Amino acid sequence: MIHLLKNAINEGLLNIRGKLGSFLITILMVSLSFMVFDIFLIISWNLGTVLKNEQENVGIEVFLSDNITEIESVNLADIISGMEGVRSVYFVSPEEAEAVFRADLPEQADLLTLLGPQFHLPPSIQISLQPDYRTSEKVGGLARSVSGMDGVEDIVYGKEYLPGLTRAVDILEKLVVLAGLVLALSLSLVVANTVRLAVTRRALAVQIMSIVGAPGWFVRVPFLGEGLLTGTAGSAGSLLLTVAVSWMLSPSVPHEFLPGKWIMLVLILGASSGAAGSWIGMKSGIPKPRS
Amino acid sequence: MLITFRNVSRYYNDWPALENINLQVEQGEFLVVSGPSGAGKTSLFRHIWMGDLPSKGLVEVAGYSSDRIRKNDLPFLRRKLGIVFQDFRLLPERTVFDNVALPLQVTGTSTKAIRRRVFSLLAEMELNHRRSSYPHELSGGDQQRVAIARAMVSHPVILLADEPTGNLDPEVSRIVIDLLIDINRSGTAVILATHDPRQVPAGTAKFIYLDRGHLVNPNFWDGYRQL
Repeated sequence: MIHLLKNAINEGLLNIRGKLGSFLITILMVSLSFMVFDIFLIISWNLGTVLKNEQENVGIEVFLSDNITEIESVNLADIISGMEGVRSVYFVSPEEAEAVFRADLPEQADLLTLLGPQFHLPPSIQISLQPDYRTSEKVGGLARSVSGMDGVEDIVYGKEYLPGLTRAVDILEKLVVLAGLVLALSLSLVVANTVRLAVTRRALAVQIMSIVGAPGWFVRVPFLGEGLLTGTAGSAGSLLLTVAVSWMLSPSVPHEFLPGKWIMLVLILGASSGAAGSWIGMKSGIPKPRS
Repeated sequence: MLITFRNVSRYYNDWPALENINLQVEQGEFLVVSGPSGAGKTSLFRHIWMGDLPSKGLVEVAGYSSDRIRKNDLPFLRRKLGIVFQDFRLLPERTVFDNVALPLQVTGTSTKAIRRRVFSLLAEMELNHRRSSYPHELSGGDQQRVAIARAMVSHPVILLADEPTGNLDPEVSRIVIDLLIDINRSGTAVILATHDPRQVPAGTAKFIYLDRGHLVNPNFWDGYRQL
């Protein structure tokens, strides 16, 4: 059995060595096909990152009445922090609000001086939300609940831009899944067909092996191995090509490369489409008894 | 009995490739199957290696029966057979050594045993000096001798030779036929399909004649007397 397995592996290597040129061309074709997919993933990833960052900043700012005491403010913050969807709360005192105002808008700092020492900015509570609650619908619901509480003067939560942002994130997620599936399927077919053609070219070897008494798996293993190798090497090659393109474009178009998980996804997709191609190729290449 | 055909018919879209064939081949027998193109010689061979199964009737080969054989049994049946084709069917990207070694490699024989057996067989067939050559570097006769070596390397009990001299000139054909006769003398049953049964000396073999899928006087036909 060990000899048989060893011979099956040698058979696969012999197949590759025998047609190294066409094997490399197949890998290049797979790499170029996968590059389209890689570029799509990079665009999606970067766009997604921008939108996610925007969504990260989604929160609620609760402005409190001027006459509220600090103890009442802290109690209110405690109540809000216990509400569903709230990740954390931060109490901003009038003094801190003024310091922030001066730091963020130094050109308007004189305004505060003109208004006199008796004027102070209202205290506020900044609410940070759980990721699931960063949609316009859920933020709106939470804001309505908080606005009815004693001591709350006003609420700000990006009512204008949040529905658009939520919709954009939602559309992008669906688009990535849908376009990713379509691209992955079409690529798999391209890769599968490329590998199938490579297998069909060796129909004679398949036929002779079958006729001289090779077990079915012995015939299949070298082809599946070759398909797996072609798909994996092709997708790895596409990643290298994409890294090169990404590096060349990065000065003019700043962006991030794919994260590790997405790179693994590309490699797995490459390996599985290569294996599928071998399988399809073998189905049409291996002679079977007619009944 | 090594091979038995019992009332075997094979139809392709109602066209009979074989019609009610009854045939028996014993161990060590030399059978010459003759007939014109399309007579059913290749179909008969396909039924022996069970690359095809009968539409009617039963084929039994080396203990395997066409009505009971499973897909997983096919490799084991085929290891008992050696098959030679008119067009040699050598793998062009492999050397003579690798082509001959193939049937042993696919059955899990150790590398050492493969080398021993292949070298010995190539020496016996006076092909040792060509062991590193590729098929395209050989003459037609040598290619066919390599194909025969490949068929014989795993000591088959039956050698099927489907028009092995069809692409060879008369002189080389003679060498190939002599080789088949020698193989038969060593105890291997040989079944030879040929257009020209006169290639095989009288008294060496049993002759049958196929015509449009039918066996013509299987017990009485003598290739010499009727040609």
